[in-house]
Amino acid sequence: MNKSQKQLISLKINGQEYEFAIHPNRTLLEVLREDLMLTGTKEGCDDGVCGTCTVLLNGAPIRSCLYLAIEAQGKEVTTIEGLAEGEKLHPIQQAFIEHGAIQCGYCSPGMILTSKALLDSNSMPTEHDIKLAISGNFCRCTGYNKIVTAIKACCQNAVGGH
Amino acid sequence: MRIPYFAYLTPSTLEEALSILNDYNGSVRVLAGGTDLIPIMKYGLDAPETIMSLKNITSLSGIKLENKELHIGTMTSLADLLSSRIIIDNFRALHQAVAAAAAPPIWNVATVGGNICQNSRCFYYNQSKTWRLERPPCLKAGGNICHAVPKGKKCFSVYSGDLAPALIALKSSVSVERKGIYRILTLQDIFSGKGTAPFTLEKEELLTSVIIPLPDKGTCSSYVKMRLRPSVDYPLLSVATSVSLDGARKIKEATFVLGAVGPAPVVVAASGQLLRKGMEDTDDFGALGEILRKGTQMVDNLALPGSYRRKMLPVFAKKAIQVAIE
Repeated sequence: MNKSQKQLISLKINGQEYEFAIHPNRTLLEVLREDLMLTGTKEGCDDGVCGTCTVLLNGAPIRSCLYLAIEAQGKEVTTIEGLAEGEKLHPIQQAFIEHGAIQCGYCSPGMILTSKALLDSNSMPTEHDIKLAISGNFCRCTGYNKIVTAIKACCQNAVGGH
Repeated sequence: MRIPYFAYLTPSTLEEALSILNDYNGSVRVLAGGTDLIPIMKYGLDAPETIMSLKNITSLSGIKLENKELHIGTMTSLADLLSSRIIIDNFRALHQAVAAAAAPPIWNVATVGGNICQNSRCFYYNQSKTWRLERPPCLKAGGNICHAVPKGKKCFSVYSGDLAPALIALKSSVSVERKGIYRILTLQDIFSGKGTAPFTLEKEELLTSVIIPLPDKGTCSSYVKMRLRPSVDYPLLSVATSVSLDGARKIKEATFVLGAVGPAPVVVAASGQLLRKGMEDTDDFGALGEILRKGTQMVDNLALPGSYRRKMLPVFAKKAIQVAIE
């Protein structure tokens, strides 16, 4: 195999199958944003530190900037675009709005997806569980308290995923 | 930051992977979770022609207890280690080390083998290409100077893995395979102590499992870590310890394994007498502080100066003992 050759891959993103011919060096973040225009997933540090590029892979949060798109074959990718049902926001998105947990909004897709993964696996997390789960997602507006409040509100409403 | 182009291979069996490593004469890089290799490639620190992903080799994943030994496949994710009941109940230092490694989303991807075999780091090396162009290449980048220690003749890059110190404290071995050859080494033996090439493994070799003996009754362990941001950072200093207690829970002896103190973890054994004296010392760790510092090479190449990290070493060693015996 030659390194200049593209490879045909198929990815399942937000429930839909896509086929691409890509170079193996493309990260999942690059393919989502540049090929699929799913720009809800943000590029931050591009080094695996900040968490803005978080997506769910088989329901678990990962850094899409550190993950090769070609490695995601056979797995289910969920981005922030996959949460709302048409005009109806996901309950976690709604809670973030209601509790003012969004300031500049750049960390929000990653924060919301990380929260979804937490609530899907543990519908009644403690405050410590919440803080631990989002500890890898940086909010440079430092709105952490309201984010924790919004996630707690989702537990009280007993909602997790769809 | 774009990753340079490479050819991508995905063997589905261990035999196939070992054949590839053999056939490519070591010019192929192994991709496990990628959380170390991908940033290195983005920074232009490595541009392999071929990458071999281990994701399809299911035999390399799993945790099982056999004949009083825990066998962990090197492709097991950190998330699986963290939730393992056997590890929580019997290998506390390992559980604490995994919990202290990186951030939760990294646990879902990063692997045991990748964490152990991560490259050593330095403030002057792990930087973007543009940043590095401002200076002549350092020893680790193939040049002949050290920016961290002016006139330094060797590389002072720091081994920053969290798992290895804990695993060494727990007396772990590793199985290493190449085509037709299988060998078992103590984990300590895979470290060369050289910053430019931190591992003794041949390029055709693959780390396939970690083997940890069940600790004796009366032995306890711990892992403590100093870092600026407790949620994401590499260690600025870490201490793993394994402590033997007598029937009256008095400390008999302890082994310290120090991480982020040089290009390899440093092992220091301490007698019960010294330890008990050190634990009673209200200010420091008594004579143990100096003994612990002896084999370390802490210089100004991480986020905090070497002098500060040297001062904090006995503080964290004492804390490690307290955490282990509590």
